[in-house]
Amino acid sequence: MELENFIILFIVIPMGTGVIGVLLKQRVHIARVLGVLSFLATSALAIGLLVHLRSDPAGILVSQMGAWPAPFGISVVFDSLSGLLLAASSLVALACYVHSFSTVDPVAEKRYFHPMVQLLMFGVNLAFLTGDLFNLFVSFEIMLMASYCLLTFGGTRLQMTQAYKYVLLNLVGSTLFVIGAGLVYGMTGTLNFADLALFVSERQARGEALPPGFAALSIALLLVFGLKGAIFPLWFWLPDTYYTCNVSIAGLFAGMLTKVGIYAIARTFPMIFAHGHSDAAKVVMPLLAISAAFTMFLGVLGAVSHHNIRRILAVHVISQVGYMVFGLALMTRVALAGCLFYMIQHMVVKSCLFLCCGIVERHTGTDDLDKSGGLLKRDTYLAVVFFIAAMSLVGLPPLSGFFGKLVIIREGWRESMWWLSIFGLLTGALTLLSMLKIWSYCFWSPSGESIERTPANMPNTSSLRPAYIGATLLVCVALFLGFGAQPVYEIAYRAGEQLAAPEAYIQAVLGPEVIENLARARAESAALATAAVEVTP
Amino acid sequence: MTISSPVLRNSMRLILPLMLLYALYAMLKGHNEPGGGFIGGMIMATAICTYRMSHGFAAQLRLMPVHPRVLIFLGLGLALGTSTVPLLLGEPFLRSAVGVFHLPFSGHAFHYASAMAFDLGVMLVVVGVGVGMITQLSEELE
Repeated sequence: MELENFIILFIVIPMGTGVIGVLLKQRVHIARVLGVLSFLATSALAIGLLVHLRSDPAGILVSQMGAWPAPFGISVVFDSLSGLLLAASSLVALACYVHSFSTVDPVAEKRYFHPMVQLLMFGVNLAFLTGDLFNLFVSFEIMLMASYCLLTFGGTRLQMTQAYKYVLLNLVGSTLFVIGAGLVYGMTGTLNFADLALFVSERQARGEALPPGFAALSIALLLVFGLKGAIFPLWFWLPDTYYTCNVSIAGLFAGMLTKVGIYAIARTFPMIFAHGHSDAAKVVMPLLAISAAFTMFLGVLGAVSHHNIRRILAVHVISQVGYMVFGLALMTRVALAGCLFYMIQHMVVKSCLFLCCGIVERHTGTDDLDKSGGLLKRDTYLAVVFFIAAMSLVGLPPLSGFFGKLVIIREGWRESMWWLSIFGLLTGALTLLSMLKIWSYCFWSPSGESIERTPANMPNTSSLRPAYIGATLLVCVALFLGFGAQPVYEIAYRAGEQLAAPEAYIQAVLGPEVIENLARARAESAALATAAVEVTP
Repeated sequence: MTISSPVLRNSMRLILPLMLLYALYAMLKGHNEPGGGFIGGMIMATAICTYRMSHGFAAQLRLMPVHPRVLIFLGLGLALGTSTVPLLLGEPFLRSAVGVFHLPFSGHAFHYASAMAFDLGVMLVVVGVGVGMITQLSEELE
């Protein structure tokens, strides 16, 4: 049994569970058990493989689907970057899924809710694993289809209005993505990430220029990924979308969807589109830096100005994405490692805050800060969980957010991007302010005057148990990321190295034989082209 | 939505078997040439929906006596199943078994690939989705 072939299980397990879930439409309890088992299996697999790969010198597992050799078939690659993200996303999905048992509308639950969550994770896992630009597009589409369904589960007017905008925007993004992928294929003749990286690094090694239009192409793709990742000018869709759907689903989206966009930038830009000191890099890097500053700072200003818990948290997603873009804009191995560490801790912590927000909403019947209060006495456990998660987000030293921010901001000083670092520090302070706002209004203030304890909004504690389990799971993961930051950061650093110096990735995916053949074929076609030019006049 | 037109009713009786047969042909041909499970499924779904237009919903139920959901389940299950079996044999995902088998009496060589089962799955999904959507929409019209 070869280990490589089994990385495909990250895709097969959620898809299989989703397919079975289609048939189990009415049997909600079996569907729930199966769904939990599926997420448990993928999390265990991801963590197991990560631990296994720590002692492996190459640290990359590659499987060629259908046994078609690499640049022609579709490669599935499990390296440190995908591994960490798969582990974090599976755990987040598990927690949000369990949490949804106490928030989901029972009618909606019988309308393919369970298969849709599984298919969403099918798309997310495929995006993290794939080694091919077109397949990345396919996985985005799978993910988006499932997210359209999950967004509109209530079928209310408000949800439909929001979903309409979201669908339209993503259709535009997807169209641009396909056009971009087509242009990449036209310019380079390949869509495989490793082959593309080889193409770029070979050209740079020989001192040749990249094909004309490569810089414009990379900006088009940056636009697509930035739209999914909600970076500076492209974030407008995010706050309202997260506001209208079910709170557990909002937690899942906050953890996953933007991060997939950022992952796509992290996977393609350091290796291919902005590798070395190409023309494209000269345009892309300042763009990323400026966008990081605006995303961080304007995002947090938006969060401070809002007065609903869920809106504050949603706008905060944007601000936190800014830190990741900051790491990407520096593009050194340490900064990329910091970006990755920040990504996984943000997935966990932000989803945890949304899950807490779901419990608060159940307690008070609203998420308006003015109308809620006194929760510290009513639900001390929730207050503790919320406090730990909020302080992790802010980045208080022993907690997880600190390490990500520390690495990125220090690297900013070292790379003489001090102005970005100052923005990062300012944003951190304002993050503290907005979190304290929720804390003081919602938990610390004396009981809000408007909580009428009618039977309608009385909390049903027995059915809230799954919600507490979900939030607890995530807060435990967040604490582990804080106190056990060392091993996680080591894996993240390895991922940063693999991204900054893609030779290992290229070797693992293509293999020495294919690389040699490709080099020979390219030299021959170049010779033919020059011969043709000599003949024509 | 049923259209009561004798021309459509009678011509559909002739066209339906041809369309179904052509759908199968397009699916099988797709292994090496243009065609395949998706387009075969589209043709089949079109045939079933047109039949519903000319003969009514009861006739469609006689032709396809299962809920579209079951077809989607079977199709996805078949596609996932055929692509997962290679894992158990130590081969990569989606690996296809290819070979030639000789027909018992005439001895004709018959090329087969296990990828065909995958294509059949795609076809079932497309038929399920196509017929399911049209049924839902026309129920709303009625």
